[in-house]
Amino acid sequence: MNELSTAIREKAKELLESGQVDCVIGYEASARDGARPVFVYKPADAGRLVWNAHCVHNLVTYLHDKKKPQKRGEDPPRVAVVVKPCDSRAVNVLLAEQQIERERVFVIGVACEGMEGAEGEMQERCGRCADRVPAIYDVLIGDPPIVDPSPETYADLAEIEAMSPNERLAFFLRQFDRCIRCYACRQVCPGCYCSTCMFERDDGLWIDAGIELPQKHMFHLGRALHLAGRCVECNECERVCPMGLPLSLLNRMLAREIDTLFKHRAGREEALSPLLFELGEEGSPL
Amino acid sequence: MRFTTRDGLRAWLDSLAKTTDLIAPRDVDGHVLYRPVAAADEVLLEYERPELSAKTYVLPDTEVLLRIEKQAQGAKLEELLPDRQQVLFGLRPCDAHGIVAMDALFLEQDPSDAYYRAYRERTTLIGMACSQMWDGCFCTSVGGGPTDHTHLDVMFQEVEGGYMANAVTPKGVAILEGMALEKPPKGPPPAVGRYAKPVPLMGPDKWRPLFEGDLWMRHGERCLSCRICTYVCPTCRCFDVVDRAVGVRSGVTHIERIRVWDACTSTNYRRAAGGHNSRPTKPVRLRNRFFCKFCYYPEDFGRLGCVGCGRCVVSCPVDIDIREVMQEVAEAG
Repeated sequence: MNELSTAIREKAKELLESGQVDCVIGYEASARDGARPVFVYKPADAGRLVWNAHCVHNLVTYLHDKKKPQKRGEDPPRVAVVVKPCDSRAVNVLLAEQQIERERVFVIGVACEGMEGAEGEMQERCGRCADRVPAIYDVLIGDPPIVDPSPETYADLAEIEAMSPNERLAFFLRQFDRCIRCYACRQVCPGCYCSTCMFERDDGLWIDAGIELPQKHMFHLGRALHLAGRCVECNECERVCPMGLPLSLLNRMLAREIDTLFKHRAGREEALSPLLFELGEEGSPL
Repeated sequence: MRFTTRDGLRAWLDSLAKTTDLIAPRDVDGHVLYRPVAAADEVLLEYERPELSAKTYVLPDTEVLLRIEKQAQGAKLEELLPDRQQVLFGLRPCDAHGIVAMDALFLEQDPSDAYYRAYRERTTLIGMACSQMWDGCFCTSVGGGPTDHTHLDVMFQEVEGGYMANAVTPKGVAILEGMALEKPPKGPPPAVGRYAKPVPLMGPDKWRPLFEGDLWMRHGERCLSCRICTYVCPTCRCFDVVDRAVGVRSGVTHIERIRVWDACTSTNYRRAAGGHNSRPTKPVRLRNRFFCKFCYYPEDFGRLGCVGCGRCVVSCPVDIDIREVMQEVAEAG
């Protein structure tokens, strides 16, 4: 058992025993995938928790299931969640958007050396990543590794931008055509939490329920735009897509634009996307 | 049992593609999918398990049932039944099994589903035996097998130098008429390369008492409520029917009534008028998916709702593994 797993278990046990949290969301061993999400409620079960190079899932998305009281009249549960640096940025986004209460979430941050892809290679996004320590944590597990990220060249975007508008449209439509509208990209995203998704309304106000190219086209562009300045680039949407849609192209393009225009990278601190603002007493800040 | 060379098979597929709608495994940007093909050279002959089942060709993901024109008095309705013949080639045995499992609901009930029936009557099922069981496969545990021809009209199996062709039904005999067939070479067909470890299959009596068990919380809590498992499944057959506005042409409002796939794993599946949701949590929704396959569907329609294709196993992003659930059901006190 590696040291990080041991440290996560000890912390989880302590948090549950002291009653500081009701549940620890972490990773357990999986024969198939190496690791998978697990919910630990009893100190005795803390031994199930592991840390390895397959902890790809962004567990912050499960905090949405813990926002409401489990029983009527009770307070919502207090939850500890194991996060990588990329995942931690989603915690900041949800705090800024007032989706979670800081005092109800205990963040177990793990110093991350990068996760492995399906072939055992380091994931591309991890090779680019310069954040080896979570942006927000209550306890940090592990020593920050010294890793030189490969410089961000946006070579993937350059390839798309070299296309003519018509070629680009054809490229994306060809990709969207494979979509089966399973909504896995939306469901896994910590930033997608509308109680009724505009693309799934009964009245079909924006798009109807058909699983056809125009609806898929609209859905994917809409999904990406709704994450503009909010996407933390954990890349979970692309990982879970059963049809291998290159969704990171859309997300990364928007992230780069927002960075250029507003000097904002989502979740680096607890701040709203510059594309969102609060209407206060003094009205719109614009 | 007859034999054809690879060239003989390709020539036959070319002639089929000219006379009927031919659906076959194709490489779509690196993904193996059953897709319409125009010629034999688009057809993959060496492939594993296509990433999606073939169910959309008998139960389309989106199907226009009616065209509706709103008129001053009432409305004009036009029913759209499929009228084209189609051949599904290269079906893996589990995918044919899946279609037959759906028949129990859509064909073998009274009344049957007119749209599904129209597709089924116009469809010929031509299989390609699997040379091994692939990642996640467990067909042999739920009544199927890599070379099982039971649910097909014709079954092909690759042998040295070509393919054995087995016409299983009269429809299968008829469709093979145009093919250059030879006497099969001597010797048995090649053995299946790899069999998966069997998974215990339990009947409704074993499942029913586990309805309230903690199993569902353990597996269901990490569920994302997406629809991957149900949409890749060859037997998941839930659908929704909705109307969509098409537009106004020459002062006439056009509407379509469509049938689209639906999924019991999705959040709103059980939401009723007034907003009540009788399956409000992930664990109870996931429980329904498994109970449907191994308890409700067998009890109500006499067939298993699972053919062991393993697609849900390999495509679940959070490792919800139906084989693990089956194992735990078998081991439960």
